Amino acid sequence: MEVLIPQDQNLAARETFRAFSKFRERGRACLFIFGLWLALFCLGLNAARGQTVSHEYPLKAVFLLNFAKFTEWPTNAFDKPDSPLVIGVLGDDPFGAVLDDAVRGEIANGRKFVVERYRRVEDIKACHILFISQSETRRLAKIVAALKRKPVLTASEIDNSAYNGVCVQFITENNKIRFRVNLDSLKEADITMSSQLLRLSETIPAPTK
Amino acid sequence: MLGLAIAIAQAAWADELTPPAASSVAQTNSEALDTYKKMSLEELMDQQVTSVAKQPQPLGQAPAAIQVVTGDEIRRSGASSIPEALRLADNLDVAQINSHDWAISARGFNSHLGDKLLVLMDGRAVYSPLYGGVLWNMQDYLLEDIDRIEVISGPGGTLWGANAMNGVINITSKNAKDTQGFYMEAGGGTELQDFTGVRYGGTLSSNVYYRVYGKFYNLSDEHLANGSDAADATIQGQGGFRIDTEPSLPNVFTLQGDIYDGDNGLDVGGTVATNEIVGGGNLLGRWTHPISDDSDMSLQMYYDRTHLEFPYVTLGTLSDNLDTADVEFQHNFSLGERNKFVWGAGYRFTHEVDQNSAAPGTAQVIFAPSTLDQNLFNVFGQDEIKLLDPLYLTLGTKIEHNDYTGFEFEPSIRLQWTPAPKQMFWGAISRAVRTPSRLDHDLQIPTGLAPPFQTFEAGGSDFTSEDVIAYELGYRTQLGSKTSASISAFYNDYNDLRSLSPGPAASFGLPFTFANNLQGDTYGFEISADYQIFNWWRLHGGYDFLQENIFVKPGQTDLDNALDETADPQNQVFLRSSMELPFHTELDVNARWIDKVENDNNGVAGTVPSYAEMDVRLGWHAAKNLEISIVGQNLLHDQHAEAGYPGSSQEQIVRSIYGKVSWKF
Repeated sequence: MEVLIPQDQNLAARETFRAFSKFRERGRACLFIFGLWLALFCLGLNAARGQTVSHEYPLKAVFLLNFAKFTEWPTNAFDKPDSPLVIGVLGDDPFGAVLDDAVRGEIANGRKFVVERYRRVEDIKACHILFISQSETRRLAKIVAALKRKPVLTASEIDNSAYNGVCVQFITENNKIRFRVNLDSLKEADITMSSQLLRLSETIPAPTK
Repeated sequence: MLGLAIAIAQAAWADELTPPAASSVAQTNSEALDTYKKMSLEELMDQQVTSVAKQPQPLGQAPAAIQVVTGDEIRRSGASSIPEALRLADNLDVAQINSHDWAISARGFNSHLGDKLLVLMDGRAVYSPLYGGVLWNMQDYLLEDIDRIEVISGPGGTLWGANAMNGVINITSKNAKDTQGFYMEAGGGTELQDFTGVRYGGTLSSNVYYRVYGKFYNLSDEHLANGSDAADATIQGQGGFRIDTEPSLPNVFTLQGDIYDGDNGLDVGGTVATNEIVGGGNLLGRWTHPISDDSDMSLQMYYDRTHLEFPYVTLGTLSDNLDTADVEFQHNFSLGERNKFVWGAGYRFTHEVDQNSAAPGTAQVIFAPSTLDQNLFNVFGQDEIKLLDPLYLTLGTKIEHNDYTGFEFEPSIRLQWTPAPKQMFWGAISRAVRTPSRLDHDLQIPTGLAPPFQTFEAGGSDFTSEDVIAYELGYRTQLGSKTSASISAFYNDYNDLRSLSPGPAASFGLPFTFANNLQGDTYGFEISADYQIFNWWRLHGGYDFLQENIFVKPGQTDLDNALDETADPQNQVFLRSSMELPFHTELDVNARWIDKVENDNNGVAGTVPSYAEMDVRLGWHAAKNLEISIVGQNLLHDQHAEAGYPGSSQEQIVRSIYGKVSWKF
């Protein structure tokens, strides 16, 4: 901090802006800002068409597929022995067509896959793996409560979602995907996850040994 | 013409919304899918993904000119202090004054007593009521434990109150839950001579987490214009703790505190070497209680003490002891389908004692009264109304009462339009104020001479708040997950800015007093863009433009000819490159070009020339928990000035290099 010590006592004021030039200056400034904004807007739209997509969601889609292969559901989770395995997305879908492409032609434990999308948790009927979108962050507690004791493997990228009862939380750590698995939630859902998958995950509560 | 432009824009829009038929996008995705489907779980978990979408969005402030600097970006930049980390927010002007002092502002007014920025550390306001600015040499943290820094350029008075006139900086440390285990760092170099930091995080019970940390550093002298050492070496340390309960519990508690002490060299003209002493501590508690899905409330209290001893060459040593107690309550809830309401109230009490070591009756800088207790009350309310699904209107105001000027109103109106999930247009009109500081109101510089010359300079007892009406427009977009861009433009209309007036003719113009004789406007824009070229290479660019027209009100005077408040670069350009390289190495380059700064020392104009500078960091993850890095700062010149008046005491920032080892276990 520095406190000013005036040295120059010359009071001759420098030329101030006259009202007219001031008004003109303002008008120009506003037009300039608007023009710039419009230019960038159009530029943005143009760039949107040339966009490329990172491979985060293809990777996550393949993980969801792998969950199906490394997980056992109770028999009552399926109507018939050959009922398809339903992967659901609740809320805003970050996958787009990627998830449908990922499961196309795939079979896990003799079952085909179906992808469904839901706006609300009430819309869910038979679902085995449910990806809960970021858009549901505020409603997460309600969703977890609604699915309590149902054989649904829930997965989400919402922060702390595993601590809030979601079975598997996707975590991005040093640009790599990690899992945090809530063992209590799996148990309540009567779902068994293979140790091969658990070994690669952070589990909560941590195993008591 | 306008209509045509909008029509074209809309046509382009519609085009964009049609799904690409057989574009390269689908191709890339399906190729990636095929590759991933052939991989084992272990291989999948070794795949790199990148996302610019992960930057946390602060609730409620999204339609504003906000930039977020993440903890990882700070680490990658090689920044060793909070001001250095703020160079990553390119909607700020960051100028280093000497080894430990910084001038930082948004949208101009980065004068030597810059006072238009509100800075919060974990919810604790850290601007000094002594002069309304931030003593950056007092603001520190173990950078490893900083979660993010949000920088908002533009007024934030409606939510944050007085002093959030041109911008708000929100520094948030990590939750104790996310800083478990040991962390140690140590290193040294030419300017940052040696430093060490330690943190340990553990649990107090199954759902209560804590961490304790300590850090210590030595800064070497910068240079004077003639190349000799400026006597501004600094030695400083800080320690603290943070305790957090499990974030998912029905009641979430945070308790945290810090304590620090430092001895900062000051070179005043190269002949007298003396030291500025800083120290202080704080304790903050916060209780958050979610009431329902879309409603929560929080109560926060803190106590903060700062101690400053500032030596003037011929005007004694000023000591300032400030105690602050603050309590704030906030409640968010929804009213029906369309209204999201937030309201709150707060009270702050400050007790400030300013004394000068010089003998009474001699020339010195004092504040009268030397002891001042102040009360600051505020209430605020803001409603976000959903007009149509992608169109939101936010209306709110803060009403604040301070002891100098009474009631202050800081309303704002904001419109947010999100035509697509990752595109947002916004506009806002807001009023914000800067309330008087003790400097404006209570400063006295007695000369020790006989009347009528007994006082040289004094605060203005009629000094009132400075105010601004700000008009803003912005656009933010995320194009895929590789590109993001934003632009914000502003027009700010200021009134009652600080000036310096001569006293009565009978006392030959003495004392000079602070008055509100300036007005004027500023306009400009800020652009920034991120582009992830490859998984391993990310680029960032930023550009700021600022035009300032500040003038003396007709018929009034200012001894500084309206030039003392605006030492700002008109253009700033930022370029950053961030690469992941083989053998677990990473290379980061941060370059900046800052336009010349015209400043004014009481009618004597000076210029800090424009400059380009570059910082480079090379990091190597030698083992999973061990990181070794080497950082070069200000590499392009032997030395360069960023602030201050040209002259023998202006400090030059020198090229420097340091090495660092950090270890987690």
